[in-house]
Amino acid sequence: MSKLERDSRAGAVLEVLGIAVFVHASGALRISGQPPDWLRLIWPTVTEPDATLPGSSAFLENFLIDARECWTAGGEKRARSGPWVEQTADGNELSLEATALTIGGQAILLLERLGEVFEAKKSMLQKARETVIAYQRLNSEMQKKEILLHCISEEMNAALANVITSLRLIELEKDPTRIGQLLRLASRATEEQQTLINKVLNVFAAELEGLRGRDGTAMAQTQLGDAVRAAEENVAPQFADKGVRLRLAGSGLDEMRVAMDSTHLTRVLSTLLENALQSAPAGDEVRLNFAEESGAILIRISDNGPSFPPDICANLFSRAATAASGPQASHLPLQFCRIAVENCDGEIGYESRHEGGNTFWVMLPTPAAPK
Amino acid sequence: MIQKKICMIGASGVGKTSLISKFVHSMFSDKYLTTVGVKIDKKTVAVDGAEVMLMIWDLEGDDDYQRLQTSYLRGSSGYLLVADGTRQITLDQAIEIQGRVTAAIGPVPFLLALNKADLVSQWEIDQSRVDDLTARGWKSFKTSAKEGAGVEEAFVELSRQMIQPP
Repeated sequence: MSKLERDSRAGAVLEVLGIAVFVHASGALRISGQPPDWLRLIWPTVTEPDATLPGSSAFLENFLIDARECWTAGGEKRARSGPWVEQTADGNELSLEATALTIGGQAILLLERLGEVFEAKKSMLQKARETVIAYQRLNSEMQKKEILLHCISEEMNAALANVITSLRLIELEKDPTRIGQLLRLASRATEEQQTLINKVLNVFAAELEGLRGRDGTAMAQTQLGDAVRAAEENVAPQFADKGVRLRLAGSGLDEMRVAMDSTHLTRVLSTLLENALQSAPAGDEVRLNFAEESGAILIRISDNGPSFPPDICANLFSRAATAASGPQASHLPLQFCRIAVENCDGEIGYESRHEGGNTFWVMLPTPAAPK
Repeated sequence: MIQKKICMIGASGVGKTSLISKFVHSMFSDKYLTTVGVKIDKKTVAVDGAEVMLMIWDLEGDDDYQRLQTSYLRGSSGYLLVADGTRQITLDQAIEIQGRVTAAIGPVPFLLALNKADLVSQWEIDQSRVDDLTARGWKSFKTSAKEGAGVEEAFVELSRQMIQPP
């Protein structure tokens, strides 16, 4: 194969991949070969081979400083811009990345439209950063709780010390008036303790209401379609990685509403989908069925993987599972699912099928007709 | 018209993109969508009778997954250092990032935006810490990308500092 043929084939491959190749010469960047279609969405004048890239991108202008350094150094040195967003003439956005390199003494700039791999990376980063933020908030909340707990302990301890001291003094005291005073002191201290305990219980009750998805006046309402799509988005990279398809079955998804906080519902669905994915064979499918049944919404998530052994099934949603190690450890968040679902008067369960496979089901009340 | 490049800098999830969205497009969304890479927006502001075209570089949050790329700061006339008032740790991160930025581009004007000021009950940053920073010459604004409070003011004040003769 001649060099010309090789170059032509390499150019064709880059064209198929949607990568634009520019050659830097005499201070201008000229496109080599046919410009990919997406390029003219941003730079409408770059339509023909050999067209010049206009200097209209502030990001690219900045990157070209690094690119020139790279071209001057020559050799195998490369400079990558990192991803950036350009706006198209019709107001849409495209994610791009540029690479500067030298080939055969020629200064080359590759412009690539970022596709599925970038979107998958973005999705992973989204999830990772959400987790970090949630962890930071949890950590901060725990610190506040620790301080609060310390204060409560101190106050209860002080009241208890009054009771104990009073009782000891009563034991030694002969004077009925003085005994009466000490009894009143002890009684007041126990009442203080009782008030404090009630305050603590009220705080816990308010937090439980928060978990119930109530804003204090009305039940939360979530459009099932939004939660399903958010959960689908959360798990998409893991599904893609294992080559497992997610199949939705049912009708009227966008009309269905459930009486549950949207964040909790998305987390429950994501957890159940992740569990199903763990069991599902590579290249297989996970099914998410939804239907309205007598004033409630039934969601079923099924896979064709091996059924769980009976001893694991018995503890799938229990606190015991959180302490488990080994295969059970993968089902740790299921306890959260149970609490979240039951706290909005729903039900959650698991069924294994004789022919193999697992189904997790969730029954949630609709806002109009809570169960 | 004067043209100035400014960068939005801070940890992930502090609201850099939301501040731009509010300032440039008067829009706000509660949903957190992480920025990956860079996005540039433009807006003209009037500062003391002068028109300043701001080229606002929204940079990906600095964290364990992606460190701030200092090459993006090249040519910046100033930057908005953003922290999330409901997460104390993001102020520590902002202070650390500011050191790196100064090392990379030298002392250029910047403002500290303590964002999410609408979440009063979750506010974590002690005023004493802000006072310490003020004593070091830092200027800070409490901002709310959700309600718009302090947003325009922060960008205008940064623009004012950038166009002032040294």
